[in-house]
Amino acid sequence: MLRGILSLLIFPGLAFQVLCGLIFEWIDRKLLARFQRRVGPPWYQPAADLVKLFSKEDLMPEGVYDLVEVLLPLISLSAVLTAGLYIPIAGFTSFSFEGDLIVIQFLMSVPTLAYYLAGIASVGIYSFLGGGRSILQYFSYEVPLLIAISGPAVMAGSWSVAQISQAQLGMGPFVIFQPLGFILAVVGLIGKLKRDPLDIPSASTEVVGGSLTEFSGAKLGFWQLTMNVQAVVGIFLLVNLYLGWLNFTAPLVVVGIFLLECLLMVLVLSGASAIFARLRIDQLAGLGWKILVPLSLLQLGFVILMGV
Amino acid sequence: MLKEMIKKTYRWAQKNSLWMIHYNTGGCNGCDIEILDLLTPRYDIERLGIITKASPRHADVLLCTGPVTLQAKDGLWQIYAQMPSPKWVVAVGSCSTTGAVFYGSDTVLGGVDHILPVDIYIPGCPVRPEGIIEGLVKLRERIAHGG
Repeated sequence: MLRGILSLLIFPGLAFQVLCGLIFEWIDRKLLARFQRRVGPPWYQPAADLVKLFSKEDLMPEGVYDLVEVLLPLISLSAVLTAGLYIPIAGFTSFSFEGDLIVIQFLMSVPTLAYYLAGIASVGIYSFLGGGRSILQYFSYEVPLLIAISGPAVMAGSWSVAQISQAQLGMGPFVIFQPLGFILAVVGLIGKLKRDPLDIPSASTEVVGGSLTEFSGAKLGFWQLTMNVQAVVGIFLLVNLYLGWLNFTAPLVVVGIFLLECLLMVLVLSGASAIFARLRIDQLAGLGWKILVPLSLLQLGFVILMGV
Repeated sequence: MLKEMIKKTYRWAQKNSLWMIHYNTGGCNGCDIEILDLLTPRYDIERLGIITKASPRHADVLLCTGPVTLQAKDGLWQIYAQMPSPKWVVAVGSCSTTGAVFYGSDTVLGGVDHILPVDIYIPGCPVRPEGIIEGLVKLRERIAHGG
């Protein structure tokens, strides 16, 4: 009982994931600044942003559904935190069952749907546009992402993330066998996190703040936290699915390699946002359905044939 | 005791994370270009935790440039009213602080302080980016002392 509560609240639950989210956000912003030859924010910046948001007044425009606007960020935050519980961290799994990959995928898409609803429920025109864009983007990246991450599952013969990462101890990291699938999964993750090349729903030059235009204070803080934790869970998931660590006995080495792989993923994500410019929504839909889906099907077929 | 500590933490966070929104109330665009300089690698305002936001509901600091014209008056007030408190106003440039050469015109009210409570005045035509950074650092000190 006590063990269960501790694992929910501290490791690998709330405290650990929030801490990781803040650290990853800082590393990401610092890397982006260095890519642009800037100095970048100090290490406490994400924490200061979050505390400040919670200290501010909570304003909502007239005519919005109050309860909905309060519940949406809380629901999406709890969904991504729950998804994080099923992902093994450096080989340590607290909750796992056969088929949790599907559950993680479902829970990870809850924030996107909540984001859409938030845009509809707050009455601003920019929120409405941002919400519509987010649901269009969802249909573009989610299908290739799902097909791509079913590659490791087919290869390992299991739909549990813990089993998949275990299987790589014997077979070697799956990124060697499915480099294409890994790239597709990274593109899907960027779309899921609404990060820079695919930040179409929240593009500040076009739709101000997307669905979150009308949010302020603690609600915006919860949204920010949701995005941070979602990034952590997504990075942990891809590291487990594709970059399974080498077979070492010393636990410290395993933890070190896991951390290194996570930092590598952060580097890839911030590098992508430094290099590429934002796509238009029709370009993203075209890219998703004309290029990414056929490629992911090709990768999956290749994996199935390799198994035969 | 606990209340004091929470207040101190809040002040620290507010000081270190100023999100600003920028509104031109009818100026010549000179100060706006100098504000853009703050985001470039040479001045990099993000090292002070300051970033620009597009929505007034996300912002803490209202950066005003230009004299307040009759047409921009209502918009300025609406933007200020949409910002969640605690919030601060910074008047950037000679026009924004006093109205400068436009003072006394039929269509110009004068400086921003005709409409809003201004916390920091930064004169100059146009302001140098160093001047704006100096002003924002002064604002940070003011927040740290509970201003």
